[in-house]
Amino acid sequence: MTTSETPVKGSFRGLSDVPLVARQVGFEQLSFWLNPVGAVLTIGFSLVFIVIFLSTSRHSTVNYLPVNLGQYYVPAFVAYGVMAACFNILAITMVNRRELGLLKRLRLSPLPTWMLLTAIFVNWMIIALIQVVLVLLLGRFGYAVHGPHDVGTFLLILIVGMFSFTAMGVGISTVVPNADAAGPIVSLVFFILVALSGLYFPIRAGSGLATFTGFFPIRHLILGLVDTFNGIPGTSPWNDLLVIALWGVAGVFVSLRRWDWSPKRG
Amino acid sequence: MSSRAFGPPGLWADGVAVPAVSVEHLSKSYGDTVAVRDVSFEVHKGEVFALLGPNGAGKTTTVEILEGFRERSGGRVQTLGVDPADTSTQRWLRTRIGVVLQELAIEPYYSVRQVLTRNAGYYPHPRPVEEVLELIGLTDKADDRVKRLSGGQQRRLDVGLGIIGNPELMFLDEPTTGLDPSGRRETWELIRRLAAGGTTVLLTTHYMDEVEALADRVAVLFGQEIVASGTPASIGGRDLGAVTIRFRLPEGVTVESLPVPAEPCEGGHAEIHTEDEVRVLHDLTGWALEGGHPLHGLSVLRISLEDIYLGLTQGAASRRAEGSDTAPPPQRVG
Repeated sequence: MTTSETPVKGSFRGLSDVPLVARQVGFEQLSFWLNPVGAVLTIGFSLVFIVIFLSTSRHSTVNYLPVNLGQYYVPAFVAYGVMAACFNILAITMVNRRELGLLKRLRLSPLPTWMLLTAIFVNWMIIALIQVVLVLLLGRFGYAVHGPHDVGTFLLILIVGMFSFTAMGVGISTVVPNADAAGPIVSLVFFILVALSGLYFPIRAGSGLATFTGFFPIRHLILGLVDTFNGIPGTSPWNDLLVIALWGVAGVFVSLRRWDWSPKRG
Repeated sequence: MSSRAFGPPGLWADGVAVPAVSVEHLSKSYGDTVAVRDVSFEVHKGEVFALLGPNGAGKTTTVEILEGFRERSGGRVQTLGVDPADTSTQRWLRTRIGVVLQELAIEPYYSVRQVLTRNAGYYPHPRPVEEVLELIGLTDKADDRVKRLSGGQQRRLDVGLGIIGNPELMFLDEPTTGLDPSGRRETWELIRRLAAGGTTVLLTTHYMDEVEALADRVAVLFGQEIVASGTPASIGGRDLGAVTIRFRLPEGVTVESLPVPAEPCEGGHAEIHTEDEVRVLHDLTGWALEGGHPLHGLSVLRISLEDIYLGLTQGAASRRAEGSDTAPPPQRVG
Protein backbone atom coordinates (compact mmCIF):
# COMPACT_ATOMS: atom_id res chain seq x y z
CA MET A 1 0.00 0.00 0.00
CA THR A 2 1.29 3.45 -0.88
CA THR A 3 1.04 6.41 1.48
CA SER A 4 -0.75 9.70 0.86
CA GLU A 5 1.26 12.45 -0.69
CA THR A 6 0.56 15.84 -2.15
CA PRO A 7 -1.84 15.47 -5.08
CA VAL A 8 -0.42 15.84 -8.57
CA LYS A 9 -2.60 17.94 -10.85
CA GLY A 10 -3.33 17.37 -14.53
CA SER A 11 -4.24 14.41 -16.67
CA PHE A 12 -1.48 14.91 -19.25
CA ARG A 13 2.10 14.14 -18.30
CA GLY A 14 3.76 14.98 -21.61
CA LEU A 15 6.07 12.55 -23.38
CA SER A 16 6.03 10.14 -20.46
CA ASP A 17 2.44 9.33 -21.44
CA VAL A 18 3.38 8.16 -24.95
CA PRO A 19 4.46 4.64 -23.85
CA LEU A 20 1.19 4.32 -21.92
CA VAL A 21 -0.83 5.18 -25.04
CA ALA A 22 1.19 2.67 -27.07
CA ARG A 23 0.62 0.05 -24.39
CA GLN A 24 -3.12 0.69 -24.40
CA VAL A 25 -3.19 0.45 -28.21
CA GLY A 26 -1.44 -2.91 -27.85
CA PHE A 27 -4.14 -4.18 -25.50
CA GLU A 28 -6.88 -2.83 -27.80
CA GLN A 29 -5.30 -4.74 -30.68
CA LEU A 30 -4.96 -7.85 -28.53
CA SER A 31 -8.64 -7.61 -27.62
CA PHE A 32 -9.57 -7.38 -31.33
CA TRP A 33 -7.44 -10.31 -32.47
CA LEU A 34 -8.39 -12.52 -29.51
CA ASN A 35 -11.81 -12.80 -31.14
CA PRO A 36 -10.63 -14.37 -34.43
CA VAL A 37 -14.10 -14.89 -35.88
CA GLY A 38 -14.96 -11.23 -35.43
CA ALA A 39 -11.55 -10.14 -36.68
CA VAL A 40 -11.68 -12.26 -39.84
CA LEU A 41 -15.24 -11.19 -40.61
CA THR A 42 -14.33 -7.52 -40.12
CA ILE A 43 -11.22 -7.70 -42.25
CA GLY A 44 -12.47 -10.20 -44.80
CA PHE A 45 -15.83 -8.67 -45.70
CA SER A 46 -14.47 -6.17 -48.20
CA LEU A 47 -12.12 -8.76 -49.71
CA VAL A 48 -15.02 -11.13 -50.34
CA PHE A 49 -16.99 -8.36 -52.02
CA ILE A 50 -14.02 -7.44 -54.22
CA VAL A 51 -13.67 -11.05 -55.33
CA ILE A 52 -17.41 -11.38 -56.04
CA PHE A 53 -17.70 -8.13 -57.99
CA LEU A 54 -14.43 -8.21 -59.89
CA SER A 55 -14.51 -11.89 -60.79
CA THR A 56 -17.63 -11.24 -62.86
CA SER A 57 -17.37 -7.66 -64.03
CA ARG A 58 -13.80 -6.44 -63.79
CA HIS A 59 -13.65 -5.12 -67.37
CA SER A 60 -17.29 -4.11 -67.61
CA THR A 61 -18.19 -0.49 -68.01
CA VAL A 62 -21.20 1.61 -67.20
CA ASN A 63 -22.10 4.23 -69.77
CA TYR A 64 -22.13 7.09 -67.25
CA LEU A 65 -18.83 6.03 -65.61
CA PRO A 66 -15.60 7.06 -67.36
CA VAL A 67 -13.62 4.05 -66.00
CA ASN A 68 -14.14 0.30 -65.89
CA LEU A 69 -15.68 -1.29 -62.80
CA GLY A 70 -12.34 -2.63 -61.56
CA GLN A 71 -11.04 0.91 -61.26
CA TYR A 72 -14.23 1.84 -59.41
CA TYR A 73 -14.73 -1.04 -57.00
CA VAL A 74 -11.20 -1.25 -55.58
CA PRO A 75 -11.10 2.37 -54.28
CA ALA A 76 -14.78 2.10 -53.35
CA PHE A 77 -14.02 -0.89 -51.14
CA VAL A 78 -11.02 0.92 -49.68
CA ALA A 79 -13.61 3.48 -48.57
CA TYR A 80 -15.84 0.69 -47.33
CA GLY A 81 -12.98 -0.74 -45.23
CA VAL A 82 -12.46 2.61 -43.51
CA MET A 83 -16.17 3.12 -42.89
CA ALA A 84 -16.80 -0.43 -41.68
CA ALA A 85 -13.93 -0.36 -39.17
CA CYS A 86 -14.11 3.23 -37.99
CA PHE A 87 -17.88 3.59 -37.97
CA ASN A 88 -19.85 0.36 -38.07
CA ILE A 89 -17.77 -2.05 -35.97
CA LEU A 90 -16.45 0.70 -33.70
CA ALA A 91 -19.97 1.93 -32.87
CA ILE A 92 -21.22 -1.58 -32.05
CA THR A 93 -18.10 -2.25 -29.97
CA MET A 94 -18.51 0.99 -28.03
CA VAL A 95 -22.15 0.26 -27.23
CA ASN A 96 -21.25 -3.23 -26.02
CA ARG A 97 -18.42 -1.91 -23.88
CA ARG A 98 -20.68 0.70 -22.34
CA GLU A 99 -23.52 -1.72 -21.66
CA LEU A 100 -21.18 -4.36 -20.19
CA GLY A 101 -19.84 -1.74 -17.77
CA LEU A 102 -16.35 -1.91 -19.31
CA LEU A 103 -16.25 1.84 -19.97
CA LYS A 104 -17.28 2.52 -16.39
CA ARG A 105 -14.49 0.32 -15.05
CA LEU A 106 -11.92 2.07 -17.24
CA ARG A 107 -13.29 5.44 -16.15
CA LEU A 108 -12.56 4.46 -12.54
CA SER A 109 -8.99 3.46 -13.38
CA PRO A 110 -6.17 6.04 -13.63
CA LEU A 111 -6.27 5.78 -17.45
CA PRO A 112 -7.17 9.33 -18.58
CA THR A 113 -10.09 9.74 -20.96
CA TRP A 114 -7.92 11.30 -23.65
CA MET A 115 -5.58 8.31 -23.51
CA LEU A 116 -8.42 5.82 -23.82
CA LEU A 117 -10.02 7.62 -26.75
CA THR A 118 -6.68 8.04 -28.50
CA ALA A 119 -5.96 4.34 -28.11
CA ILE A 120 -9.41 3.43 -29.44
CA PHE A 121 -8.93 5.70 -32.46
CA VAL A 122 -5.44 4.40 -33.23
CA ASN A 123 -6.63 0.82 -32.80
CA TRP A 124 -9.42 1.19 -35.37
CA MET A 125 -7.17 3.19 -37.64
CA ILE A 126 -4.74 0.24 -37.66
CA ILE A 127 -7.57 -2.18 -38.45
CA ALA A 128 -8.83 0.11 -41.22
CA LEU A 129 -5.32 0.42 -42.67
CA ILE A 130 -4.92 -3.36 -42.69
CA GLN A 131 -8.11 -3.57 -44.74
CA VAL A 132 -6.96 -0.79 -47.06
CA VAL A 133 -3.63 -2.50 -47.71
CA LEU A 134 -5.26 -5.90 -48.29
CA VAL A 135 -7.82 -4.42 -50.72
CA LEU A 136 -5.09 -2.57 -52.60
CA LEU A 137 -2.93 -5.70 -52.82
CA LEU A 138 -5.87 -7.81 -53.97
CA GLY A 139 -6.83 -5.20 -56.56
CA ARG A 140 -3.29 -4.83 -57.85
CA PHE A 141 -2.19 -8.46 -57.96
CA GLY A 142 -5.55 -10.16 -58.35
CA TYR A 143 -7.24 -7.90 -60.86
CA ALA A 144 -4.52 -5.59 -62.23
CA VAL A 145 -6.19 -2.49 -60.86
CA HIS A 146 -3.67 0.34 -60.66
CA GLY A 147 -3.71 3.22 -58.26
CA PRO A 148 -3.82 5.45 -56.46
CA HIS A 149 -2.22 7.84 -58.89
CA ASP A 150 -2.45 10.78 -56.51
CA VAL A 151 -1.00 9.20 -53.36
CA GLY A 152 -0.94 12.42 -51.33
CA THR A 153 -4.63 13.15 -51.86
CA PHE A 154 -5.44 9.47 -51.33
CA LEU A 155 -3.72 9.53 -47.90
CA LEU A 156 -5.30 12.88 -46.97
CA ILE A 157 -8.80 11.59 -47.74
CA LEU A 158 -8.05 8.38 -45.83
CA ILE A 159 -6.89 10.24 -42.72
CA VAL A 160 -9.78 12.74 -42.75
CA GLY A 161 -12.17 9.84 -43.38
CA MET A 162 -10.79 7.84 -40.44
CA PHE A 163 -11.08 10.79 -38.06
CA SER A 164 -14.56 11.71 -39.22
CA PHE A 165 -16.04 8.22 -39.34
CA THR A 166 -14.52 7.44 -35.92
CA ALA A 167 -16.18 10.57 -34.53
CA MET A 168 -19.47 9.58 -36.17
CA GLY A 169 -19.10 6.01 -34.87
CA VAL A 170 -18.62 7.23 -31.31
CA GLY A 171 -21.46 9.71 -31.83
CA ILE A 172 -23.99 7.15 -33.03
CA SER A 173 -22.95 4.77 -30.21
CA THR A 174 -24.15 7.39 -27.73
CA VAL A 175 -27.71 7.35 -29.10
CA VAL A 176 -28.09 3.55 -29.20
CA PRO A 177 -30.01 2.58 -26.05
CA ASN A 178 -28.75 -0.97 -25.44
CA ALA A 179 -26.43 -3.71 -26.67
CA ASP A 180 -29.21 -5.68 -28.40
CA ALA A 181 -30.09 -2.67 -30.53
CA ALA A 182 -26.51 -1.81 -31.47
CA GLY A 183 -26.12 -4.22 -34.40
CA PRO A 184 -29.52 -3.58 -35.98
CA ILE A 185 -29.51 0.21 -35.61
CA VAL A 186 -25.91 0.89 -36.63
CA SER A 187 -25.78 -1.69 -39.41
CA LEU A 188 -29.15 -0.68 -40.85
CA VAL A 189 -28.13 2.97 -41.08
CA PHE A 190 -24.72 2.01 -42.42
CA PHE A 191 -25.68 -0.55 -45.06
CA ILE A 192 -28.61 1.45 -46.40
CA LEU A 193 -26.47 4.55 -46.83
CA VAL A 194 -23.61 2.52 -48.25
CA ALA A 195 -25.90 0.94 -50.84
CA LEU A 196 -27.60 4.22 -51.75
CA SER A 197 -24.23 5.98 -51.98
CA GLY A 198 -23.07 3.75 -54.81
CA LEU A 199 -20.79 1.18 -53.21
CA TYR A 200 -22.37 -1.80 -54.96
CA PHE A 201 -23.65 -0.09 -58.11
CA PRO A 202 -22.25 3.23 -59.36
CA ILE A 203 -24.79 6.05 -59.38
CA ARG A 204 -25.21 8.50 -62.25
CA ALA A 205 -23.88 11.93 -61.25
CA GLY A 206 -26.64 14.55 -61.10
CA SER A 207 -29.41 12.01 -60.48
CA GLY A 208 -31.86 12.52 -57.63
CA LEU A 209 -30.25 9.70 -55.66
CA ALA A 210 -26.80 11.19 -56.16
CA THR A 211 -28.06 14.56 -54.98
CA PHE A 212 -29.69 12.98 -51.92
CA THR A 213 -26.69 10.85 -50.91
CA GLY A 214 -24.45 13.83 -51.61
CA PHE A 215 -25.57 15.20 -48.26
CA PHE A 216 -23.95 12.24 -46.52
CA PRO A 217 -20.23 11.58 -46.13
CA ILE A 218 -20.20 8.02 -47.49
CA ARG A 219 -20.63 8.99 -51.14
CA HIS A 220 -17.94 11.65 -50.78
CA LEU A 221 -15.44 9.20 -49.31
CA ILE A 222 -16.14 6.73 -52.13
CA LEU A 223 -15.95 9.33 -54.93
CA GLY A 224 -12.94 11.10 -53.39
CA LEU A 225 -10.95 7.86 -53.37
CA VAL A 226 -12.20 6.75 -56.81
CA ASP A 227 -10.94 10.05 -58.23
CA THR A 228 -7.45 9.49 -56.78
CA PHE A 229 -7.31 6.15 -58.65
CA ASN A 230 -8.35 7.48 -61.98
CA GLY A 231 -6.93 10.97 -62.32
CA ILE A 232 -10.01 12.29 -64.10
CA PRO A 233 -9.42 15.88 -65.25
CA GLY A 234 -11.49 18.56 -63.54
CA THR A 235 -12.08 16.66 -60.28
CA SER A 236 -11.13 18.19 -56.95
CA PRO A 237 -11.09 16.49 -53.55
CA TRP A 238 -11.89 19.60 -51.51
CA ASN A 239 -15.67 19.44 -51.68
CA ASP A 240 -15.55 15.76 -50.68
CA LEU A 241 -13.13 16.51 -47.83
CA LEU A 242 -15.30 19.39 -46.62
CA VAL A 243 -18.46 17.27 -46.42
CA ILE A 244 -16.62 14.40 -44.71
CA ALA A 245 -14.99 16.79 -42.22
CA LEU A 246 -18.30 18.55 -41.42
CA TRP A 247 -19.88 15.21 -40.57
CA GLY A 248 -16.86 14.47 -38.41
CA VAL A 249 -17.38 17.73 -36.52
CA ALA A 250 -21.04 16.79 -36.07
CA GLY A 251 -19.90 13.42 -34.71
CA VAL A 252 -17.60 15.12 -32.20
CA PHE A 253 -20.42 17.46 -31.15
CA VAL A 254 -22.90 14.61 -30.59
CA SER A 255 -20.25 12.55 -28.78
CA LEU A 256 -19.43 15.37 -26.39
CA ARG A 257 -23.08 16.15 -25.72
CA ARG A 258 -24.33 12.61 -25.20
CA TRP A 259 -21.31 10.63 -24.00
CA ASP A 260 -22.04 8.43 -21.00
CA TRP A 261 -19.70 6.02 -19.22
CA SER A 262 -22.57 4.16 -17.55
CA PRO A 263 -24.78 1.51 -19.14
CA LYS A 264 -28.03 2.97 -20.43
CA ARG A 265 -29.91 -0.37 -20.43
CA GLY A 266 -32.67 1.39 -22.32
CA MET B 1 -12.33 22.68 2.13
CA SER B 2 -10.71 21.81 -1.17
CA SER B 3 -8.09 24.51 -0.65
CA ARG B 4 -6.78 23.06 2.62
CA ALA B 5 -3.02 22.64 2.33
CA PHE B 6 -1.28 19.29 2.58
CA GLY B 7 1.54 18.78 5.05
CA PRO B 8 3.69 15.67 5.55
CA PRO B 9 2.30 12.39 4.14
CA GLY B 10 -1.11 11.65 5.69
CA LEU B 11 -1.44 15.02 7.42
CA TRP B 12 -2.82 18.46 6.66
CA ALA B 13 -0.38 21.34 7.00
CA ASP B 14 -1.73 21.98 10.53
CA GLY B 15 -0.79 18.42 11.59
CA VAL B 16 -4.34 17.04 11.63
CA ALA B 17 -4.69 13.60 10.06
CA VAL B 18 -6.37 13.58 6.65
CA PRO B 19 -9.37 11.24 6.84
CA ALA B 20 -9.68 8.71 4.06
CA VAL B 21 -13.19 9.93 3.30
CA SER B 22 -15.06 12.97 4.54
CA VAL B 23 -18.70 13.60 3.61
CA GLU B 24 -20.71 16.61 4.82
CA HIS B 25 -24.37 17.13 3.98
CA LEU B 26 -24.04 15.31 0.68
CA SER B 27 -27.07 15.40 -1.59
CA LYS B 28 -27.76 14.16 -5.08
CA SER B 29 -30.89 14.57 -7.18
CA TYR B 30 -31.87 13.60 -10.69
CA GLY B 31 -34.49 16.17 -11.59
CA ASP B 32 -37.20 15.76 -8.95
CA THR B 33 -35.89 12.39 -7.81
CA VAL B 34 -33.75 12.51 -4.67
CA ALA B 35 -31.01 9.85 -4.69
CA VAL B 36 -29.08 10.97 -1.58
CA ARG B 37 -30.30 13.38 1.09
CA ASP B 38 -28.06 15.26 3.56
CA VAL B 39 -25.65 12.39 4.22
CA SER B 40 -22.63 12.98 6.45
CA PHE B 41 -19.96 10.57 7.62
CA GLU B 42 -16.23 10.15 7.86
CA VAL B 43 -14.07 7.11 7.24
CA HIS B 44 -10.80 6.98 9.14
CA LYS B 45 -7.66 5.62 7.60
CA GLY B 46 -7.21 1.92 8.13
CA GLU B 47 -10.78 1.11 9.08
CA VAL B 48 -13.47 -0.94 7.36
CA PHE B 49 -16.60 1.18 7.07
CA ALA B 50 -19.88 -0.29 5.83
CA LEU B 51 -22.84 1.46 4.25
CA LEU B 52 -25.76 -0.84 4.93
CA GLY B 53 -29.13 -0.44 3.30
CA PRO B 54 -31.74 -1.91 0.98
CA ASN B 55 -31.65 -1.57 -2.79
CA GLY B 56 -32.32 2.01 -3.84
CA ALA B 57 -31.23 3.51 -0.53
CA GLY B 58 -28.47 5.57 -2.16
CA LYS B 59 -25.43 3.45 -1.31
CA THR B 60 -24.07 3.14 -4.84
CA THR B 61 -24.76 6.79 -5.65
CA THR B 62 -22.85 7.85 -2.53
CA VAL B 63 -19.91 5.63 -3.39
CA GLU B 64 -19.86 6.76 -7.02
CA ILE B 65 -19.68 10.39 -5.88
CA LEU B 66 -16.77 9.52 -3.60
CA GLU B 67 -15.00 7.78 -6.48
CA GLY B 68 -15.42 10.88 -8.65
CA PHE B 69 -17.60 8.99 -11.10
CA ARG B 70 -20.76 10.97 -10.42
CA GLU B 71 -21.19 14.66 -9.60
CA ARG B 72 -22.98 15.71 -6.44
CA SER B 73 -25.83 18.21 -6.21
CA GLY B 74 -24.80 19.63 -2.85
CA GLY B 75 -22.61 19.21 0.20
CA ARG B 76 -18.88 18.74 0.59
CA VAL B 77 -16.89 15.61 -0.11
CA GLN B 78 -13.23 14.69 0.13
CA THR B 79 -11.56 11.44 -0.81
CA LEU B 80 -7.95 11.09 0.37
CA GLY B 81 -7.94 14.82 0.98
CA VAL B 82 -9.10 15.97 -2.45
CA ASP B 83 -12.46 16.77 -3.97
CA PRO B 84 -13.20 13.74 -6.18
CA ALA B 85 -15.13 15.98 -8.60
CA ASP B 86 -12.00 18.08 -9.24
CA THR B 87 -10.88 16.86 -12.67
CA SER B 88 -7.39 18.27 -12.18
CA THR B 89 -6.60 15.71 -9.46
CA GLN B 90 -8.70 12.77 -10.67
CA ARG B 91 -5.82 10.96 -12.34
CA TRP B 92 -3.79 11.23 -9.12
CA LEU B 93 -6.74 10.13 -7.01
CA ARG B 94 -7.47 7.10 -9.15
CA THR B 95 -3.94 5.80 -8.74
CA ARG B 96 -4.69 5.62 -5.01
CA ILE B 97 -8.11 4.04 -4.94
CA GLY B 98 -9.34 0.61 -5.89
CA VAL B 99 -12.89 -0.06 -7.01
CA VAL B 100 -14.98 -3.21 -7.14
CA LEU B 101 -18.21 -2.47 -8.96
CA GLN B 102 -21.58 -3.94 -8.10
CA GLU B 103 -21.79 -5.61 -11.51
CA LEU B 104 -19.10 -7.66 -13.18
CA ALA B 105 -17.30 -5.83 -15.97
CA ILE B 106 -14.34 -7.66 -17.49
CA GLU B 107 -13.41 -8.12 -21.14
CA PRO B 108 -14.32 -11.72 -22.00
CA TYR B 109 -11.55 -12.52 -24.50
CA TYR B 110 -8.51 -11.63 -22.40
CA SER B 111 -6.89 -14.25 -20.19
CA VAL B 112 -6.94 -13.65 -16.45
CA ARG B 113 -3.25 -12.76 -16.51
CA GLN B 114 -3.66 -10.41 -19.50
CA VAL B 115 -6.43 -8.36 -17.93
CA LEU B 116 -4.54 -8.07 -14.64
CA THR B 117 -1.33 -7.12 -16.49
CA ARG B 118 -3.18 -4.48 -18.52
CA ASN B 119 -4.68 -2.84 -15.45
CA ALA B 120 -1.43 -3.09 -13.45
CA GLY B 121 0.13 -0.82 -16.07
CA TYR B 122 -2.25 2.00 -15.17
CA TYR B 123 -0.78 2.38 -11.67
CA PRO B 124 2.58 3.73 -10.51
CA HIS B 125 3.11 1.08 -7.80
CA PRO B 126 1.01 -1.98 -8.68
CA ARG B 127 1.06 -5.27 -6.85
CA PRO B 128 2.85 -8.01 -8.79
CA VAL B 129 0.35 -9.89 -10.97
CA GLU B 130 1.44 -13.26 -9.53
CA GLU B 131 0.79 -11.98 -6.01
CA VAL B 132 -2.73 -10.88 -6.94
CA LEU B 133 -3.41 -14.20 -8.68
CA GLU B 134 -2.47 -15.96 -5.46
CA LEU B 135 -4.51 -13.59 -3.29
CA ILE B 136 -7.65 -14.18 -5.37
CA GLY B 137 -7.00 -17.90 -5.74
CA LEU B 138 -6.80 -17.90 -9.53
CA THR B 139 -3.18 -18.93 -10.08
CA ASP B 140 -4.35 -22.15 -11.74
CA LYS B 141 -6.66 -20.18 -14.04
CA ALA B 142 -4.15 -17.48 -14.96
CA ASP B 143 -4.05 -18.39 -18.63
CA ASP B 144 -7.76 -19.15 -19.04
CA ARG B 145 -9.98 -16.75 -20.95
CA VAL B 146 -12.20 -14.64 -18.67
CA LYS B 147 -15.31 -15.96 -20.44
CA ARG B 148 -14.36 -19.51 -19.37
CA LEU B 149 -14.41 -18.63 -15.65
CA SER B 150 -17.37 -19.38 -13.41
CA GLY B 151 -19.38 -16.48 -12.00
CA GLY B 152 -17.61 -16.76 -8.65
CA GLN B 153 -14.19 -16.84 -10.29
CA GLN B 154 -15.05 -13.77 -12.36
CA ARG B 155 -16.12 -12.01 -9.17
CA ARG B 156 -12.77 -12.84 -7.58
CA LEU B 157 -10.98 -11.51 -10.64
CA ASP B 158 -13.07 -8.35 -10.31
CA VAL B 159 -11.75 -7.98 -6.76
CA GLY B 160 -8.26 -8.64 -8.12
CA LEU B 161 -8.66 -5.72 -10.52
CA GLY B 162 -9.67 -3.60 -7.55
CA ILE B 163 -6.49 -4.40 -5.60
CA ILE B 164 -3.97 -4.59 -8.47
CA GLY B 165 -3.07 -0.91 -8.03
CA ASN B 166 -2.10 -1.43 -4.38
CA PRO B 167 -4.71 1.11 -3.24
CA GLU B 168 -4.81 3.16 -0.06
CA LEU B 169 -8.61 3.15 -0.20
CA MET B 170 -10.88 0.44 -1.56
CA PHE B 171 -14.50 0.93 -2.58
CA LEU B 172 -16.34 -2.37 -2.56
CA ASP B 173 -19.88 -2.06 -3.88
CA GLU B 174 -21.71 -5.21 -2.79
CA PRO B 175 -18.64 -7.34 -3.49
CA THR B 176 -20.14 -10.69 -2.53
CA THR B 177 -23.46 -10.43 -4.35
CA GLY B 178 -23.90 -13.58 -6.39
CA LEU B 179 -21.17 -15.56 -4.65
CA ASP B 180 -21.76 -18.95 -3.05
CA PRO B 181 -21.06 -19.30 0.71
CA SER B 182 -17.46 -20.42 0.26
CA GLY B 183 -16.85 -17.63 -2.27
CA ARG B 184 -18.25 -15.12 0.21
CA ARG B 185 -15.96 -16.41 2.96
CA GLU B 186 -12.93 -16.23 0.66
CA THR B 187 -13.79 -12.65 -0.29
CA TRP B 188 -14.23 -11.74 3.37
CA GLU B 189 -10.82 -13.22 4.15
CA LEU B 190 -9.30 -11.18 1.32
CA ILE B 191 -10.90 -7.99 2.66
CA ARG B 192 -9.60 -8.77 6.14
CA ARG B 193 -6.10 -9.24 4.77
CA LEU B 194 -6.33 -5.90 2.94
CA ALA B 195 -7.53 -4.15 6.08
CA ALA B 196 -4.80 -5.81 8.15
CA GLY B 197 -2.29 -4.43 5.65
CA GLY B 198 -3.54 -0.89 6.30
CA THR B 199 -5.92 -0.44 3.38
CA THR B 200 -9.00 1.61 4.20
CA VAL B 201 -12.18 -0.11 3.00
CA LEU B 202 -15.56 1.46 2.27
CA LEU B 203 -18.02 -1.34 1.73
CA THR B 204 -21.65 -1.28 0.68
CA THR B 205 -23.81 -4.28 1.39
CA HIS B 206 -27.26 -5.44 2.34
CA TYR B 207 -25.95 -8.52 4.18
CA MET B 208 -25.97 -8.21 7.98
CA ASP B 209 -23.48 -11.04 8.46
CA GLU B 210 -21.07 -9.26 6.13
CA VAL B 211 -21.22 -6.14 8.27
CA GLU B 212 -20.70 -8.13 11.46
CA ALA B 213 -17.82 -10.09 9.95
CA LEU B 214 -15.94 -7.17 8.43
CA ALA B 215 -16.94 -3.69 9.52
CA ASP B 216 -15.37 -1.59 12.25
CA ARG B 217 -18.23 0.89 11.86
CA VAL B 218 -21.48 0.93 9.93
CA ALA B 219 -24.00 3.53 8.78
CA VAL B 220 -27.52 2.49 7.83
CA LEU B 221 -28.85 4.22 4.73
CA PHE B 222 -32.59 4.12 4.24
CA GLY B 223 -34.77 6.35 2.12
CA GLN B 224 -31.71 8.16 0.78
CA GLU B 225 -30.49 9.26 4.24
CA ILE B 226 -28.52 7.88 7.16
CA VAL B 227 -30.89 6.68 9.89
CA ALA B 228 -28.29 5.29 12.31
CA SER B 229 -24.59 4.70 12.67
CA GLY B 230 -22.08 3.16 15.04
CA THR B 231 -20.17 -0.04 15.50
CA PRO B 232 -21.95 -3.26 14.52
CA ALA B 233 -22.10 -4.21 18.21
CA SER B 234 -23.63 -0.95 19.40
CA ILE B 235 -25.66 0.48 16.54
CA GLY B 236 -29.25 1.34 17.42
CA GLY B 237 -28.54 0.68 21.13
CA ARG B 238 -27.87 -2.97 20.38
CA ASP B 239 -25.37 -3.24 23.26
CA LEU B 240 -27.89 -1.83 25.73
CA GLY B 241 -31.06 -3.69 24.81
CA ALA B 242 -32.64 -6.85 26.18
CA VAL B 243 -31.00 -10.25 25.80
CA THR B 244 -32.58 -13.69 25.58
CA ILE B 245 -31.26 -16.42 27.89
CA ARG B 246 -32.18 -19.86 26.61
CA PHE B 247 -31.60 -23.38 27.99
CA ARG B 248 -33.16 -26.84 28.13
CA LEU B 249 -35.36 -27.33 31.19
CA PRO B 250 -33.81 -29.88 33.55
CA GLU B 251 -35.67 -33.15 34.13
CA GLY B 252 -38.67 -32.65 36.43
CA VAL B 253 -38.37 -28.84 36.47
CA THR B 254 -41.10 -26.50 35.26
CA VAL B 255 -40.73 -22.82 34.37
CA GLU B 256 -42.72 -21.97 37.47
CA SER B 257 -40.08 -23.54 39.70
CA LEU B 258 -37.20 -21.53 38.21
CA PRO B 259 -35.72 -18.74 40.37
CA VAL B 260 -36.43 -16.11 37.69
CA PRO B 261 -39.48 -15.50 35.46
CA ALA B 262 -39.22 -17.55 32.26
CA GLU B 263 -41.35 -18.73 29.37
CA PRO B 264 -41.56 -22.28 28.06
CA CYS B 265 -40.77 -22.78 24.37
CA GLU B 266 -40.48 -25.61 21.87
CA GLY B 267 -38.26 -28.63 22.43
CA GLY B 268 -38.49 -28.52 26.21
CA HIS B 269 -36.57 -25.26 26.37
CA ALA B 270 -37.13 -22.15 28.44
CA GLU B 271 -36.41 -18.52 27.54
CA ILE B 272 -35.81 -15.53 29.78
CA HIS B 273 -35.98 -12.00 28.32
CA THR B 274 -34.13 -9.46 30.41
CA GLU B 275 -32.09 -6.26 30.31
CA ASP B 276 -30.26 -7.32 33.50
CA GLU B 277 -28.49 -10.39 32.23
CA VAL B 278 -25.69 -10.41 34.82
CA ARG B 279 -28.06 -10.62 37.81
CA VAL B 280 -30.41 -13.09 36.12
CA LEU B 281 -27.54 -15.38 35.10
CA HIS B 282 -26.15 -15.18 38.61
CA ASP B 283 -29.51 -16.22 40.11
CA LEU B 284 -30.10 -18.92 37.52
CA THR B 285 -26.67 -20.56 37.62
CA GLY B 286 -26.54 -20.28 41.43
CA TRP B 287 -29.87 -22.13 41.64
CA ALA B 288 -28.63 -24.78 39.15
CA LEU B 289 -25.37 -25.42 41.01
CA GLU B 290 -27.09 -25.55 44.36
CA GLY B 291 -29.79 -27.97 43.19
CA GLY B 292 -27.63 -29.99 40.81
CA HIS B 293 -29.75 -29.00 37.82
CA PRO B 294 -27.91 -29.23 34.49
CA LEU B 295 -28.66 -26.28 32.13
CA HIS B 296 -27.98 -27.95 28.78
CA GLY B 297 -27.65 -25.59 25.81
CA LEU B 298 -27.39 -22.48 27.95
CA SER B 299 -26.96 -19.46 25.65
CA VAL B 300 -27.24 -15.68 25.90
CA LEU B 301 -28.51 -14.06 22.71
CA ARG B 302 -28.35 -10.33 22.14
CA ILE B 303 -30.77 -8.79 19.65
CA SER B 304 -29.43 -9.43 16.16
CA LEU B 305 -28.13 -6.77 13.83
CA GLU B 306 -30.89 -7.80 11.46
CA ASP B 307 -33.52 -7.05 14.11
CA ILE B 308 -31.95 -3.67 14.76
CA TYR B 309 -31.76 -2.96 11.04
CA LEU B 310 -35.38 -3.94 10.43
CA GLY B 311 -36.47 -1.83 13.40
CA LEU B 312 -34.57 1.19 12.13
CA THR B 313 -35.76 0.92 8.57
CA GLN B 314 -39.37 0.09 9.41
CA GLY B 315 -39.45 2.95 11.89
CA ALA B 316 -38.15 5.35 9.28
CA ALA B 317 -40.63 4.03 6.73
CA SER B 318 -43.54 4.44 9.17
CA ARG B 319 -42.58 8.00 9.99
CA ARG B 320 -42.33 8.80 6.31
CA ALA B 321 -45.71 7.18 5.56
CA GLU B 322 -47.33 9.25 8.32
CA GLY B 323 -45.94 12.34 6.64
CA SER B 324 -44.42 13.60 9.87
CA ASP B 325 -40.85 12.53 9.58
CA THR B 326 -39.65 13.05 13.12
CA ALA B 327 -36.49 11.07 12.66
CA PRO B 328 -33.50 12.46 14.48
CA PRO B 329 -31.44 14.85 12.37
CA PRO B 330 -28.79 13.18 10.24
CA GLN B 331 -25.82 12.28 12.37
CA ARG B 332 -22.23 13.14 11.75
CA VAL B 333 -20.43 9.84 12.00
CA GLY B 334 -16.81 9.56 12.88
